Amino acid sequence: MSSILLALPSKGRLHEQMNNFFESSGIILKRSGGQRTYSGFIEGIDKIEIIYLSASEISSELLKGNIHMGITGIDLIEERRTSVSKNVVMLSRLGFGKANVVIAVPNSWIDVDNIKDLSEVSSEFRSYNNRRIRVATKFRNITRIFFSQNGISNYRLVDSAGATEGSPAAGASEIIVDITETGKTIEANNLKILSDGVMLESESCIFSSTNDIWKDIDLQPVEKFLRIISARSEALGNAELLFDYIIDDKDLEINLFREFNASFINGSPNLGDSVSLISPLSMVPSCTYYLTSRGYGPVRTTRPDFIYNNESISWNLLKNSISSI
Amino acid sequence: MIKETNKIIDLLGGTTSLAKLLDVNLSAVSNYRKKGFPDRLHYKIATLCNERGILIDGEVFGKIPNNLPAFDTRPLEILSEVSVKVIENLVGKNFELIDPPVLVSADKVLDRLGENIADKLYIFSDPAGSRLCLRPDLTIPTCIHYLNNGFNGDKKNYAYHGKVFQFQNPSSYEPNEFSQAGLEIIGGDSCIENEIEVFYKTYSSIKKTGIKDLNIIFGDVSLFSLLIDVLDIPLIWKNQLKIKFWNDRNFKILLDELTIKKRNVNQLFEKISNLDKDTAKIFIRDTIGLAENQSPVGRSLEEITERLIRKSQEVKTNPLSKSTANLIKEFLSISDKPSEAIKKLKNVSNNIDSQLNDKIDKMSERIELMSELNVDLKNSILSLEKGRSVEYYTGFLFDYNYGDQINNQNIAGGGRYDDLIKSVSSNYDIPAVGAAINLDRLEKIISLEKFS
Repeated sequence: MSSILLALPSKGRLHEQMNNFFESSGIILKRSGGQRTYSGFIEGIDKIEIIYLSASEISSELLKGNIHMGITGIDLIEERRTSVSKNVVMLSRLGFGKANVVIAVPNSWIDVDNIKDLSEVSSEFRSYNNRRIRVATKFRNITRIFFSQNGISNYRLVDSAGATEGSPAAGASEIIVDITETGKTIEANNLKILSDGVMLESESCIFSSTNDIWKDIDLQPVEKFLRIISARSEALGNAELLFDYIIDDKDLEINLFREFNASFINGSPNLGDSVSLISPLSMVPSCTYYLTSRGYGPVRTTRPDFIYNNESISWNLLKNSISSI
Repeated sequence: MIKETNKIIDLLGGTTSLAKLLDVNLSAVSNYRKKGFPDRLHYKIATLCNERGILIDGEVFGKIPNNLPAFDTRPLEILSEVSVKVIENLVGKNFELIDPPVLVSADKVLDRLGENIADKLYIFSDPAGSRLCLRPDLTIPTCIHYLNNGFNGDKKNYAYHGKVFQFQNPSSYEPNEFSQAGLEIIGGDSCIENEIEVFYKTYSSIKKTGIKDLNIIFGDVSLFSLLIDVLDIPLIWKNQLKIKFWNDRNFKILLDELTIKKRNVNQLFEKISNLDKDTAKIFIRDTIGLAENQSPVGRSLEEITERLIRKSQEVKTNPLSKSTANLIKEFLSISDKPSEAIKKLKNVSNNIDSQLNDKIDKMSERIELMSELNVDLKNSILSLEKGRSVEYYTGFLFDYNYGDQINNQNIAGGGRYDDLIKSVSSNYDIPAVGAAINLDRLEKIISLEKFS
């Protein structure tokens, strides 16, 4: 039986963030040979062979179906996906490398606030200037698909290697499509993101190419690996809320779920139970306020390191998508 | 019905005599025994068998399009009999056969055809850093040929043939390169006579090959834009409707939106609606925070002001009446035999404007001219929707399809594109009308038709 190829980013911030993620997951990556080689393995998990590539190469290799799994950004997968690409499945978000692909226009375009405005302006632009409006981007594919879905056809893409935000001021384009974490560089360049101009919310994820390379593969090590990954990534985005269920309220469970996407670990509680609630991190302030104002205080919150469910979502995703192979 | 290549070769007299008949050497024929007949010989083999009363199954030439080779391997100097017939007829007495460039500026092509075609283009950079592509059609290269020869409005009749290159998804079994032959009349007047000349030459060239089951679809996208022009609706809507015309889904959304009263969503609109243009301009310049002689990034102050004024008027306008919206929908839904369609067209437009009447009369004039030329219009349709999905033509257009109305393959198409030269050169406003024939597909169909 052959081993599984897992491609990991070889350099830059993504590499560091990934190392932190694995370290905090208790997964120890070893390099074969010395620190500087581009191959490795996972201590304690056999038959998973690690290769280090650039994030964009990882996307290409996944889409060509040459590697089993890889860590890269959603943006890079979507940008490189074509009509001839192999099926690539996202197994788990990893909680780092978060950034948005957005459309931004010059601040001075006070008549343009959303995509509909842009669609009108791009059509009118041609009659004023006898050429198409230019969009500077390194996301040609994502832009083309998004624009065509949103009825923008009168435009031209211009390549931008780096510093896309500077392109309108330099006269190389009128608008841009770029990736941004905070939007600060875009603002600093006198551009504004359209109110509905987020084209893609990207994040680093572990992906799998689900084609016949999975034939004759021992799946046990992958299951072990993916169980750890999904337990860790689920824990990263969530907090655990501990309190005593001292007031009977049969709507509490459904309300907590509806409003805060929070759920009890052990299902519906009985009066007097000490309960544990899992809530998304961003919801913790409002969720604790909701509970304490109803008399469930004191609510103690902790951050779990791992949440191991009976069923690992990542593993199930992989298992189901390769079951027909 | 004989299906095997070997049997056919034997029935035609064996390797030696077939080699003589086809004027190829012996090893070529023994190759056919192993690999089947090459595409360029299908027509010839079919004719030979026909003459000798040998009944063969169309399958021997493969099925359309699954059997088309991914890359056409025929030697350049050899053109098939079908191609020669078509090209000779296209050139005739008054069309000049030209050889337009294979490599064209990728930017020019994308400017003309839009970014949506980008994933079909073979784009690359040359060592000098220019972004080039292999020509995806022969129309743009023909315009470049015209301009490169220094013409500026002079009427030129061009005919051409050659390979074009378009990436196709491998699962479609369509070839990535195929041969086209066609015509362009560039310059002169934007008149019916030129359109009919291009239309009829294309028609007679296809007919010369002996093809049956041909149907024609006509359209004229300028009928729609004229309808919008003559309707009593605000200018801003006219522009929007014309812009969205090319995409049916977005067009329907817009049409529905216009029938609903607009809410004032932008405070700027209100402030501007009471100002004259010059005051508005100053107000907007101040709002943006520009100095007196500074202009905004990417667009002019003029452009932004004019749009804001239009938008502020739009808010004050009553919504589009249901009856006008229905008139537009009904107009676009007309699709029938040419004479019937023209009747319906006259009925729907109901003399709202004399210019529109003239344009409808022009369409009947074209149909009459075609009948006088004995064009078989039995299986043809005039559709007001025709030409909407490709933002390419500016007036009259036509498509030739093989098969019936539902199950068919396009073999040729053309029409008027008076903005083409302008979009390629940006300096000249020169009318153009042209058409192109897919030679490979035509040949394949003829080979198969012989035996169906």
